[in-house]
Amino acid sequence: MGCCYSSENETTEQDPDERKPLIPHPNPVSKPPNGTDWIPTSVPSARTDEQALLTSILTKTAQNIIDVSAADSVMMEQHEYMDKARQYSTKLAVLSNTLPQKKSLALPSLTSQPHQVLASDPVPYSDVQQVSKIAAYAYSAISQIKVDAKEELVVQFAIP
Amino acid sequence: MTTAGLTAGLERIPDQLGYLVISEDGVLASAGELENDEHTAAVMMQMVRTASRFKLPGSPEPPFKRMSVTLEDFVYMVTVSGQKVFVVKRQNNQQEPINA
Repeated sequence: MGCCYSSENETTEQDPDERKPLIPHPNPVSKPPNGTDWIPTSVPSARTDEQALLTSILTKTAQNIIDVSAADSVMMEQHEYMDKARQYSTKLAVLSNTLPQKKSLALPSLTSQPHQVLASDPVPYSDVQQVSKIAAYAYSAISQIKVDAKEELVVQFAIP
Repeated sequence: MTTAGLTAGLERIPDQLGYLVISEDGVLASAGELENDEHTAAVMMQMVRTASRFKLPGSPEPPFKRMSVTLEDFVYMVTVSGQKVFVVKRQNNQQEPINA
C-alpha cells in the first residue's frame, strides 16, 4: 500500500487518534448553527427556500474558513507533538519494512526494430527549432508565475 | 540475439560516429567515439528512463519510438528494444545552428 493510493475508507486497525486533525473543524456540516438545521414543514415555501439558501451559504463559508482562534484553544503540548512525531515515525518504519524492495522500473519496449529506428532520418531542423521555441516560451511563462497577495490571510469576523 | 547480431545493424547506420548497447547490468557493446564510454551510457540510460515515464492520456504506450538529443555537431539517438538500450551518435549534418 503506497501512501498516494491510501484512501480514507481504509480504516482497518487504525488508531482513532491517528487521524484526528490537528485543527478541529470549527463548524462540522452535521451540526449547523442554531435555527437553521430544522425547518418546520408548515412554513411557506418561499421561507423554506430562503432558509435553505442561508444554510447553504453558512455551510459553504464554514467549509472555506479555518478558525485560527479556535486552533489556539486546542494547542497541543510540546510533548504531545513529540509523541505524535514518534508515533508516525514508528508507523512509517514498520510500513517501509513491509514494502517490497522497489525495483527500478523495467525498461519499456519502444520498438522491435531498433536498428531501423536509429538509422532513420534525424528530426528535421525546423521541428527542433519549433520545440526549442515552445520550450523557451513555456520556461518564460513558468518563471513569471507568482503569488499576488490581494487580501489578508487571517481576517476578523465583525460580530456585533 | 548475439552481441554481433546486436551491433551489425548499428555499424551500417549512416553518419554514425559510435554506438552503445546497454542493459540493466551495464554496457554490452560499444564502438567508435562511444567506446567504453560508461559516463554517456549512464546519462543516456537515465534520460530514456525519465522520458519513458511521461504518459500522454489516450495515446498508445509507450508514446515514442526514439529519443534524440540534438547538439550542434552531432545527435545522440536512443531507443529501447528487448530490455536493451541502443544509443547511436550520429553527425548532425543540418546546416543551421540551433539557438536554444
